Amino acid sequence: KEQRKENHKSVAGGMKNTAALILLFLFSQVVLKIIKHYQEEGQGSEVVQGVLLGLVVDDRLEITNCFPFPQHTEDDADFDEVQYQMEMMRSLRHVNIDHLHVGWYQSTYYGSFVSRALLDSQFSYQHAIEESVVLIYDPIKTAQGSLSLKAYRLTPKLMEICKEKDFTPEGLKKANIGFEHMFEEVPIVIKNSHLINVLLWELEDKSTVADKHELLNLSSSNHLEKSLQLLMDRVDDMSQDIVKYNTYSRNLSKQQQQKHQYLQRRQQENAQRQSRGEPPLPEEDINKMFKPPQPPPRMDTLLIAGQINNYCQNVKEFTSQNLGKLFMAEALQGHN
Amino acid sequence: MSRFFATGSDSESEESSSADEITPKAPGTTFKQSLLLSDDEEDTKRVVRSAKDKRFEELTNLIKTIRNAMKIRDMAKCLEEFEQLCRAFLKSKNIVDKEGVPPFYIRLLADLEDYLNQLWEDKEGKKKMNKNNAKALSTLRQKIRKYNRDYETEIAAYKENPQESADEEEEKEPEDSGASSESEAEDGDEGVSAKAFLKKKPEAAPEASKFLKSAKGSGDESTSSDEDDDEDWGSDTVDSGSESSDEGEGKSASLAVVFLKKTHDADKSSEKKLGKKKKPKKKERLEEEAEEEGGEEVEGGWEKVKGGVPLVKEKPKMFAKGTEINTAVVVKKLNEILQARGKKGTDRAAQIELLHALAAIAAENNLGQGILVKIKFNIIASLYDYNPNLAAFMKADMWKKCLDCIDELLDILFENNNIFIGENIAEDSENLGVSDQPFRVRGCVLTLVERMDEEFTKIMQNTDPHSQEYVDNLKDEGRVCGIIDRLLTYLENKGSTEEICRVYLRRIMHTYYKFDYKAHRRSLGLQGESKSEQDQEESEGEDSAVIMDRLCKFIYAKDRTDRIRTCAILCHIYHHALHSRWYQARDLMLMSHLQDNIQHADPPVQILYNRTMVQLGICAFRQGMIKDAHNALLDIQSSGRAKELLGQGLLMRNMQERNAEQEKIEKRRQVPFHMHINLELLECVYLVSAMLLEIPYMAAHEFDARRRMISKQFHHQLRVGERQPLLGPPESMREHVVAASKAMKMGDWRTCHSFIINEKMNSKVWDLFPETQRVREMLVRKIQEESLRTYLFTYSSVYDSISMETLSEMFELEIPTVHSIISKMIINEELMASLDQPTQTVVMHRTEPTSLQNMALQLAEKLGSLVENNERVFDLKQGVYGGYFNRDQKGSYQQKQQGYQRGGYRNQNQGNY
Repeated sequence: KEQRKENHKSVAGGMKNTAALILLFLFSQVVLKIIKHYQEEGQGSEVVQGVLLGLVVDDRLEITNCFPFPQHTEDDADFDEVQYQMEMMRSLRHVNIDHLHVGWYQSTYYGSFVSRALLDSQFSYQHAIEESVVLIYDPIKTAQGSLSLKAYRLTPKLMEICKEKDFTPEGLKKANIGFEHMFEEVPIVIKNSHLINVLLWELEDKSTVADKHELLNLSSSNHLEKSLQLLMDRVDDMSQDIVKYNTYSRNLSKQQQQKHQYLQRRQQENAQRQSRGEPPLPEEDINKMFKPPQPPPRMDTLLIAGQINNYCQNVKEFTSQNLGKLFMAEALQGHN
Repeated sequence: MSRFFATGSDSESEESSSADEITPKAPGTTFKQSLLLSDDEEDTKRVVRSAKDKRFEELTNLIKTIRNAMKIRDMAKCLEEFEQLCRAFLKSKNIVDKEGVPPFYIRLLADLEDYLNQLWEDKEGKKKMNKNNAKALSTLRQKIRKYNRDYETEIAAYKENPQESADEEEEKEPEDSGASSESEAEDGDEGVSAKAFLKKKPEAAPEASKFLKSAKGSGDESTSSDEDDDEDWGSDTVDSGSESSDEGEGKSASLAVVFLKKTHDADKSSEKKLGKKKKPKKKERLEEEAEEEGGEEVEGGWEKVKGGVPLVKEKPKMFAKGTEINTAVVVKKLNEILQARGKKGTDRAAQIELLHALAAIAAENNLGQGILVKIKFNIIASLYDYNPNLAAFMKADMWKKCLDCIDELLDILFENNNIFIGENIAEDSENLGVSDQPFRVRGCVLTLVERMDEEFTKIMQNTDPHSQEYVDNLKDEGRVCGIIDRLLTYLENKGSTEEICRVYLRRIMHTYYKFDYKAHRRSLGLQGESKSEQDQEESEGEDSAVIMDRLCKFIYAKDRTDRIRTCAILCHIYHHALHSRWYQARDLMLMSHLQDNIQHADPPVQILYNRTMVQLGICAFRQGMIKDAHNALLDIQSSGRAKELLGQGLLMRNMQERNAEQEKIEKRRQVPFHMHINLELLECVYLVSAMLLEIPYMAAHEFDARRRMISKQFHHQLRVGERQPLLGPPESMREHVVAASKAMKMGDWRTCHSFIINEKMNSKVWDLFPETQRVREMLVRKIQEESLRTYLFTYSSVYDSISMETLSEMFELEIPTVHSIISKMIINEELMASLDQPTQTVVMHRTEPTSLQNMALQLAEKLGSLVENNERVFDLKQGVYGGYFNRDQKGSYQQKQQGYQRGGYRNQNQGNY
């Protein structure tokens, strides 16, 4: 635990808090609770989720507490989650804890969190409570020695799109949104009360510095392989989506052509009819004859792109760190 | 149309059934045809007339309802009936075409139109009508106007001369009132007489009503009316007569029902009636026979059947006393009996009895073998006919009788060289009498035997294969084979090539699936234990292989129908494969080119083909040709419907897709149980061969993105094994194979071996092979070799070098074998290594990329295709304007890509999209 606290500090120290829409003050208690929750209930690729509680102060969001969603089993299908949340918040209020719902947290597996489910729930959160954030906790990275906690919000643009539910290619094009502009990251500052800080200082003196090995772990292939595997899967999905889109646009253009031809023919016919003094044939039925093909929803593609981006960032970060470590190790070797 | 429903229109159904001559009904039809041929003019005409009667009866019935409706001014009813009438009239069109439009029909049309017009004029009445009726009236009026346009001339003629119809009307009146004047009706208009009949039998069961009536009436009257009925309703009399005679013996259940309707002393009265009936009939018969003797056969065949009926009880009186029994009389008698065949309600058992009696008489009076043969033919045909349903199978006693009869028939044929039989001998050119000329008999013994064989199959299909009964029935197979063998020798002397081919095929069909243990033992050089057994062995004749060879080659050379040859080839291959003559079997299969066009064959042949392929695969497996075995079995196993494809049972899940009719057909196609191929053995052979192929392949291509599955089925089993939450020791055959595969993946051949070959698997699978020991040895060796390969693939990256000696110890293979396997792997570039001869070691080269590198390569490939797809989207959008990327760029990009690529993955990929 101590270790983690140290880590928190270092990460928090590294955070830049410039250009923040909202600055996130995260209380260390929350961090520990989230980690504990994952360690107790999460395994492998399973994710754990929970509710964040806190307050908005000026342009900062202070998250002071949290509680987990209970794990679902099959026999309590009629479990009412909302009811549970309300109950929980009421109870917390009784013990004088902030009871305002300000978002939720979720663990992730190798950084694969950019999904439709996340988008939907974050949208509904943000729709109901404007300042909501989603806190993503990456246990694997944390286990490697650096705490990974990130807070995200949907950009106003994406909120607009989600509100309109227009995921067609045209809609997205009009909204001019790319995968880069879907989520905005909110800087996190981990804050401790002075009392805790004092305690930590005191503890630091007493504790041995010995066990900090995780940071220096040199083995990289396992993590990289896993990331690559996931990355590949997403690339496959992307490919499929592109093919789908390709077929769609081909169909569309083909139909457009047909429509055009038909229109021309109709016009010619009408011209002839006019010369013969007959009434021209109507042109309204054309839309009935040529139903445009169902456009494929593009939101998923965007999400996949976002996810791929995310993976890439992860891999890049990881490799650059590892490279440094390797050089360091080499130097050490030469020294010996 | 079933011939059992057709009281009158026999000719129709006969024609339809004789049209398809290949059907198993064939023998029956040939005789029927002969029967028809012998019928004289009068008879055929009668048939047509009664068909007409039936139609007209329908029409008159409808007309009557219409008239009734007219009387009560029920227009809705009228309309409805009229529509029905039109439909019925349309149905009887071909009769109408022949006979002209019946006057009563025209009369109705005219009357109806008049009546409707009248109603139409009557404004008052129309107002009173309810809405429904009024509507119906207007529709009907329009309809009849339109309809009558077609019959304008007739109606006009009728209107000119309504007298005629009036007469008929009058005629009808007395009939309606009194039931006694049937004879008049017969002379009169057919339609009306039909109507009269209707009056008599408003219920579905005509006999029942008749008997009811007779029961009601007092003694004499009922008999006489019965007699009358019989006069003009001949076919039925046969039923009633024969049934009532049976009734004493308590045979006919349906009749019992009929009689149940009567008063409690039904039996007595019927007995009485019979007594009464008999007397006049006998007299009648005598007269008739006398008549016939004179050559007058007009009504003869008709009445006589009825006459013959009571005789069942008193067999010696088959012929009237004093009649000289000669060939002609017996033939006539035979024909009489045959007339009743196929008619509704004919008691088939009684008929068979009659025929037997006739045969006895013929034999008693020494009428010669010719007539005897003919009667035998008919007996057998009747036996086959006994079951009206094609799907039903013969009862045991019938079957025995049938076998006996055929045996006897063949006895006669063998004893008497001067009997010619053939389907092409016309009925009138038959020579049955004893004379210097050889006998000539119409009929085909081959068809009879073929039918017998089919019946046998049917019996086997319908017996529970796990019962003692099945074993008992199977014992008859020897007899069936015996008969076929005798027929074969007979036909070899007398039959045409075509017939010989057919009988050869039958013989082949009974031989191909049996393993020749005798020959097997002989080939192994084992002698029978005792002297006597050895003698027996020798006396039992040639090897089945030799027989098969001889018969099949004859068929290949002589047969002109494709089907027989195809079947023969398949059976030949099957037989080869069964006896482990793999190369012959394979060559024959390849040379026949059956694989190309078997899908055009009919289902039974396809089933045979599937059986052959499976047998071929199993044979290849026994010979250690794992790849061939896998390929041969792939088609059958991959579908998951092996059971269905081999005709060894129906799949339940397809039940909804087929209806009862299809199911029946499919059931008939099933192969009898004793010919089944063990499905578990089949699956095991397949899975083990898949394992031996797939596991090394998987190890070799662990990181290959374009890895293809060799066997989906096998992968499926592996997945199922993986999904198991708790892995216990393997129970089923599949679990054993899966467990063995897992062991093999690790290169652990001993465990693999113990999973594949152990007590359980022996009893389940391996012991079913004739050469168990050899197969097991082969299998062990294969497992060792493939495990070695797998081991090298999987763990080569761990080693810098490995001694071949160690490998040979690990896998218990000789060093040369190890050497050859490794060399082969190196040559095929499966293993990046080289052999160091002096130290007998394999030196690894370590050129294989690590898994991470592999992954990166894969990713690069995938990204390449992604980019390409993306470009295509651009092309589409910008294509008109010249393209976002110009061609050169793209080309260079692709070239760059080539560096990463091995093989034609890209091309394949492009093919997919």
